Amino acid sequence: MSDHDSHGDGHHHAGFDYQPSLPIPNGKLCMWLFLSTEIMFFAGLLGAYIVLRFGAPAWPSTHDVHLVEYLGAINTAVLIGSSITIVLALEAAKRNNASNAKGWMVLTLTLGCVFLGIKAFEYNAKFSHGIYPALPHSQIYEKPDVRYAQAVRLRLADLKLQLQTTKTELENQLAEAGGASEAIQAQIDEVNDKLAVHDEIAPELDAIEQLFRENPESTSVGAVEARKKLTLLANRIYPRASLQGHGSEEAAVEHEEPAAKAASTGRPQIMLVSTEAPAADHGDDHAAGYNDQHPWLELPIMIPGGNLWASTYFLVTGFHAIHVIVGLIAFVILLTKTLGANMAGTIENVGLYWHFVDLVWIFLFPLLYLF
Amino acid sequence: MSHAATDAHAAHDDAHHHGPQGVGIYVSVAVALVFLTSLSYVTNLPVWDAVVGDSVAIKRIWMMGVSCTKAMLVIMFFMHLKWEANWKWVLTIPASLMSLFLVLMLVPDVGKRMEHASYERLKYAAELTPEEADEVEDEGEIYHTDGDH
Repeated sequence: MSDHDSHGDGHHHAGFDYQPSLPIPNGKLCMWLFLSTEIMFFAGLLGAYIVLRFGAPAWPSTHDVHLVEYLGAINTAVLIGSSITIVLALEAAKRNNASNAKGWMVLTLTLGCVFLGIKAFEYNAKFSHGIYPALPHSQIYEKPDVRYAQAVRLRLADLKLQLQTTKTELENQLAEAGGASEAIQAQIDEVNDKLAVHDEIAPELDAIEQLFRENPESTSVGAVEARKKLTLLANRIYPRASLQGHGSEEAAVEHEEPAAKAASTGRPQIMLVSTEAPAADHGDDHAAGYNDQHPWLELPIMIPGGNLWASTYFLVTGFHAIHVIVGLIAFVILLTKTLGANMAGTIENVGLYWHFVDLVWIFLFPLLYLF
Repeated sequence: MSHAATDAHAAHDDAHHHGPQGVGIYVSVAVALVFLTSLSYVTNLPVWDAVVGDSVAIKRIWMMGVSCTKAMLVIMFFMHLKWEANWKWVLTIPASLMSLFLVLMLVPDVGKRMEHASYERLKYAAELTPEEADEVEDEGEIYHTDGDH
């Protein structure tokens, strides 16, 4: 019966009843099948992020981990821009206007690179603060306990050893030079300054560890006091934006403590920890801590929930960035060809992929930056 | 079979006749997308708190609504699904449903993992609310007593 109908259709040769399963080219069908697997791939990643996050006992606020909202918004706009340029490249190719199509394609490639550039800048802001997804680089500790105190103590001991070795070497050099080298003397002064910073933090940490040792029972008043003091110290090493300026009692304590301490010790270089002054070089309202004032310190930091945040953030944005890179490679390959009407199908398929990458970012931006 | 063939042809013709007309529609969609992005971003500004209030739930629902709208615009216009035949449903609906199920299936084991957590898990957890902390410390005492004697 189908033979009869097909004859009447006029599109087919007599007796040849071939009919493609879908009214689209095979390449486009394959791209859509691939994209449907990609939907599930990113649904898995985003779903894991959402579920892990809302089931977590603690989660850092965006400013605690140096996320800057407007950079995310700019990146969204950049990707939307690149989506429209690839559509315009396709339209130009359909009209067989190869040079126009190439121009739009170059613009798409450029916007994709801008996206990656901003992403790299953002990653660097995390890395420079010791926020990494895993050891050995990650400096993140989850709570003010003995393990965190131990990590800080080990780092301080390591620093002291290094500094004293350097100092001894420099003093020997100075003795050889007859004690008259201003350059070496300046270096020694610098090392002495660093040792002074070390000597400022170390006794406080020792006192906290002492308190922990004397109060092994975690419910005791002393242990609670030790955790509170360690929280204050942690907040001066790495000030968390969420603890500042909310008018809570704890925030008030955080606010008073450094000033009072600095006043009593009379060492202005340690008073650099201001809970009010935003650090000019950050672009967010993160206060400057010991690690910011003295980048060589690289002390372990305390961000409750920070490790899970870092794992999910770098996983999700990393996979998205890999997809962006694959798209850019496809654009580069396309740019080596003449983008006339015969290439319109290929451009459409690459475009579908690129729009999907845009689509993922549309959900990532609010989830990561604004939630 | 003949019916399907006719359908496919009709749909194919449809795509030709009602496809996107000119670049104007793409530009307006892009402008709409940027505008919608700013509608998400505005939840982060003080003006939102002043006008709508500081409810986190409302902000999140709003942002997800905006994101879904943007996603639909991209899928319908940039990815041309508005002008495609009915095959689009075969690929998009099962994938979307499975995505949804995947997330929902994670909720009992992963999403609610802290609701009835063991002492060990709570002990090493990031940071506890005061009520949770009390619970852990109570359990902890029992734990230690049992262990010692």
